Amino acid sequence: MLKTLKISFGMKNTYRVNTILYGLKQIPLVKELLPAELYGVRGLKIFASVISVIVEIFSALGGKAIYFALMVFLPAGLISENSHGILGMPDPADGFLFVFVILTIAGAIANPYMFDTGRNNYYGVVLMNMNAREVALVDFWYKIFKLVIGFMIFGIFMGLQLGADLWILILMPFFAAGVKLIGATFPLSYYEKHGKRRDSKVIGMLSVFIPLTLMGLAYGFLWLGIIIPKMVCVAIMVAGILLGLLSLKKILNFGYYREIYREILLETMNVRVGSDRLRTQATRKVISADTSITSSKSGLEYLNELFIRRHRKILWTASNRISLVALAVIALVLIAFAFFPEIKGGVNEMLMTSLPYMLFVMYLLNRGTGFTEALFINCDHSFLTYPFFKTPAAILKLFRIRLWEIIKVNLPPAVIIGAGLALILFMSGGTDNPLNYGILFVSVVGMSVFFSVHYLTIYYLLQPYTIDAEVRSSMYKVIMGVTYLVCYMGIQVHLPTFWFGIACIAFSVLYFIVSMILVYRFAPETFRIRT
Amino acid sequence: MKFIIKHLSKSYENDLVLKDIDFTFESGKIYGLLGRNGAGKTTLFNCINRDIKRDSGELSMEVDGIERPLTPEDIGYVLSTPTVPEFLTGREFLKFFMDIHKDKIGDMKTQDEYFDYMKVAYTDRDKLLKDYSHGMKNKMQMLINIIAEPNILLLDEPLTSLDVVVAEEMKELLKSIKGGRITIFSTHILDLALDLCDEIVLLAGGVLETVDKANLDNDEFRKKIIQALKDDDPDIRPAYDMNAEYVSTADVPAGARKQPETEEGTDA
Repeated sequence: MLKTLKISFGMKNTYRVNTILYGLKQIPLVKELLPAELYGVRGLKIFASVISVIVEIFSALGGKAIYFALMVFLPAGLISENSHGILGMPDPADGFLFVFVILTIAGAIANPYMFDTGRNNYYGVVLMNMNAREVALVDFWYKIFKLVIGFMIFGIFMGLQLGADLWILILMPFFAAGVKLIGATFPLSYYEKHGKRRDSKVIGMLSVFIPLTLMGLAYGFLWLGIIIPKMVCVAIMVAGILLGLLSLKKILNFGYYREIYREILLETMNVRVGSDRLRTQATRKVISADTSITSSKSGLEYLNELFIRRHRKILWTASNRISLVALAVIALVLIAFAFFPEIKGGVNEMLMTSLPYMLFVMYLLNRGTGFTEALFINCDHSFLTYPFFKTPAAILKLFRIRLWEIIKVNLPPAVIIGAGLALILFMSGGTDNPLNYGILFVSVVGMSVFFSVHYLTIYYLLQPYTIDAEVRSSMYKVIMGVTYLVCYMGIQVHLPTFWFGIACIAFSVLYFIVSMILVYRFAPETFRIRT
Repeated sequence: MKFIIKHLSKSYENDLVLKDIDFTFESGKIYGLLGRNGAGKTTLFNCINRDIKRDSGELSMEVDGIERPLTPEDIGYVLSTPTVPEFLTGREFLKFFMDIHKDKIGDMKTQDEYFDYMKVAYTDRDKLLKDYSHGMKNKMQMLINIIAEPNILLLDEPLTSLDVVVAEEMKELLKSIKGGRITIFSTHILDLALDLCDEIVLLAGGVLETVDKANLDNDEFRKKIIQALKDDDPDIRPAYDMNAEYVSTADVPAGARKQPETEEGTDA
């Protein structure tokens, strides 16, 4: 067992260390500094090991601290003080104990720890043929150990603040461990009886639904002031510990760890390994099988027209739906104005200051990423292996055709939203400067064009996909992340619509020009399959 | 017509995969490119096809005694895993390709003539390519690559995953179109190389070298090839030293090429 523990930890650590090193290698600039043989460099490995240990301690203790603070301590303290007690105000210490007991039971149902395992164990059991029982138990005991330590520290620390008895607080982590032990026996018994794992959608939903209900009940009753008395809680805890000890027998004597482990691990590995393949399959599925779709054009226009028509579902159908929803929302706002004229003022003010918010909305609505992904998986991954497709003339001509196409797809919703915002502004009381109507409209349309240009340009300049449709460009990921972040931050920003709108329009135009220059200059070199 | 490679080098970080390659391919021949796993065959093809940037070197064509740089249009590249645009039907793919190349194809045939030539069944011609079988996709890819009549046809393990009938058809096809072009055929199957190819070229130690059959019988020739490949182990390829002068491995005795185990190596 000790040997298994050592190997298990060793593998987990190696896996983490290599993940960290791989991560470092993905960061632009940093990767230039790293040697090619980085996985063999002792210093780097020690550095990553230290990080790995810190991550382990932090995730073990940090998680428990957050859990205790947010789920038990705060509600117990807050709700107890503000409770609408039918049976009077509960003592915060008793509330703390009550919530803890119920939540611990909920936790054991939601996650019984047993068989909740990672990739390192896959390598151990499936590839290296380690003893599955020992691997499973080591994994389980380690989690129980972390649970006891974490609950001991934070339970005592926070419980004492609320005035709870120390001896009860010391009992708490052992109760939690006992309940986890009891919880772990259920899947084992089921497997012994039925020869298969209890694994269905219903069970999956129940294991979310029941704990959530228990949680709701705990907080609800606390709020009403109805809680289980302290000594009953203590009795439940003692019973939990005793039953937990009895469960040990089942856990130690269970004979099918190997079967269950291999089953689960093979399944989870298949899902993970296949994620690129699944995405590819999903993208292939959206191709319309309608054989009446044809094109009378020729050359690259022919190719493009067939592509657009056979991908109507993810391009135009989606865009049309967004347009309809936008129309409905605008109509609803206008109807609301008629019934609740008092909201006009607020809406008017919002329109004059919250245009940055629309940046995020337009980001969410843009079909650009779906378009480029389908372009690669269903079209370019093949054509990029043919030399004629990679000639500068063909690349740039097709870029122009596609750019126009993606702008067109995104335009109807943008026009409707832009016009709708201007209309709402007018109906909500108008503006001193009539130019604002135009700015609202043009800037929203500008945002839409910007995102269309942005996604296609990035695709042509970075072409992040390998032939297996795996994204292998850290730059691409960084740019996508930054795009999201900037748009998301727009939610928080309040600027005068006039100036933000002008800036948006100017930026869109500038971005368009710069993109065209970059694509014409570099795409013939960069638009290649990643190797 | 000749395809000339001069001083072609390509390295990945410290690993020098192609080492100052000089080689001339001649038209009318099928070259069987053999090499160990990881020897750099695909890297070589990718460099020729400009899918990856080469570190140095020139690629050129010599037609009627006049040398000019290699252009993308000179090349047809058939990959081992056929990649076809899934959203087109076989016929549309063909039509598109013929549209693009109509000025360059000398003797343009009709779509069905091409399909007949490739033995593509009538019922398959108007199906979406995403529903094609592996062998059918491969045929389409081959067809597209040979209609444009490229001067150089690169084939990366093209027959390995085909059923025997299609594989045989492909072999006959390759033999029938080898005239007037350079065919470079990469494979791991020695019998196939011996059967199909006019020349055997080894990619070993980062350089290309022809294995001379001279007056050896097939069995001796086979042994000679295997011995030459055995001497090249890509896993112990020496690290790339920017300042070192590289000599063709052909000039170095086989035994001398193996690196002594380093200290770290023995520790592990």
